[in-house]
Amino acid sequence: MISSVWVEIAPYVPVLLRGLLVNIELLLGLISLGLVVGLITALIEVYAPRAMGWAAGAYTWFFRGVPEIVLLFLFYFGLSQFGVPVSAFFAAVLALGLRSSAYQAQIFRGALQSIPHGQMMAARALGLSRVRAIALVILPQALRLSLAGWSNEFSSVLKDTTLAWGIGVVEVMRQASYVRARNFTLTLPIYITVALMFLVLTYAGNLAIGLAERRLRVPGLEGHR
Amino acid sequence: MRVAGMAFLVAVLAASCVAVAQPKYIVLSDIAWAPFEWVSEKGDYLGFDLDVMRAVAILGGFEIEIRDTPFDSIIPAIIAGRGDIGASGFTITDERALVVSFSEPYWDSKQAVVVRAGSGLDLDKIVAPGRLLGAQRGTTGAFWIEDEWVPKGVTLVEYETYPEAILDLLAGRIDAVVQDVDPSKMAVVQYKGQIEIAAVVDTGERFGFLVPKGDPKGLLPKIESGVAELKRIGAWDLLIEAYFGPALGAIEAAWEKCISILLVDRDPLRYAQCLVAELSP
Repeated sequence: MISSVWVEIAPYVPVLLRGLLVNIELLLGLISLGLVVGLITALIEVYAPRAMGWAAGAYTWFFRGVPEIVLLFLFYFGLSQFGVPVSAFFAAVLALGLRSSAYQAQIFRGALQSIPHGQMMAARALGLSRVRAIALVILPQALRLSLAGWSNEFSSVLKDTTLAWGIGVVEVMRQASYVRARNFTLTLPIYITVALMFLVLTYAGNLAIGLAERRLRVPGLEGHR
Repeated sequence: MRVAGMAFLVAVLAASCVAVAQPKYIVLSDIAWAPFEWVSEKGDYLGFDLDVMRAVAILGGFEIEIRDTPFDSIIPAIIAGRGDIGASGFTITDERALVVSFSEPYWDSKQAVVVRAGSGLDLDKIVAPGRLLGAQRGTTGAFWIEDEWVPKGVTLVEYETYPEAILDLLAGRIDAVVQDVDPSKMAVVQYKGQIEIAAVVDTGERFGFLVPKGDPKGLLPKIESGVAELKRIGAWDLLIEAYFGPALGAIEAAWEKCISILLVDRDPLRYAQCLVAELSP
């Protein structure tokens, strides 16, 4: 009885994988957007004049404070009210990407602030400009220190991509609901299958980030056992 | 040479004008509600609503693009201009009619009360203090329980989807589920011997197709005359016969064999006849 359910699920696996591919596309889009905007926001919060820092703070406050599904609706329905008819996919990348940028900004800000201030003074004393000191001395260390927190954000946003169905992006959860609509009895097995797919994906992603962390390790920067 | 070039350009322009003359409208549907709309094992969109829309488009001289959209988002999307027609088993309600315009009703749907098989519950025992009744959020079933039965002491438990409500019914967490008759019949077939329909309630529910408030693109007359034409030629009853009764897998196989008659030959009657012929034993 139980094994027969899995025989029924098997033909649907390719369909689910096709849906999962959309989640991965969403992930790549939103995490790159979040990385760029988040890093800029963090740099502004730490180094820019106070007024700009406040603006960046307000930005992260907004995108961390509003539920993701609300952000999705705001971007999808809201932008079209202003005559910008974004596709559901693009709206999802924007909404989830900017939300992620706010979280990533916090990760980068923490890392930037953990670099002792003496290093900046030393770099300046050696004749580096402020910008070059940040780019050549502070950032290479801060980004390495960010990786652990960043892998957390990666797992989190990967799962968030399943919310995109709320505005009509046909991703893996929607593919699963097609299966369920044809055959109610597969409801639980199909979601167990989706869960397994995400477990594999988060494991693979975190493994890759862990490898990168080890490759990029600089002796003496991080604490060691 | 130049004249030939000009002639070519004119021909291309004329051709594109002809193409433009066939307007294209976006039809929004939550395609996970068999047999009104669902996605086949091969990934095709089919179902009664969708085939009616395809046939109406052919009769009315326009093209449609069917877009899968969450049920709760269809009306907001129509309001925001993200779609032209909602075709997703929408019950005509006063509240909805405030923000969108409905076609004439095309379907009478009653509500089924589904219980665990052998529970011995009838309507009187179900509508009693302390009973837990499930329904999909935002559907007529949920509104009916809320308005008619909650005052009599039952508690409404809302679910994001109908199958989840059925799962909770099977698990014994609720006493009954209220949902449209046709999907309920399907659930009873799929969970053979585990659930049954205890009662059917006539809520006076009628389905309509919906368009933006005031019908700015003039679609309702086209939809209504299309439906009337389908009824007149007999295709309507054949579609009902094909979609309401047979197993979903059988409908999918018949649909795949016949759909080119609708989409390529553009002949709704012969298409409906083909469906019924394929499905008859």
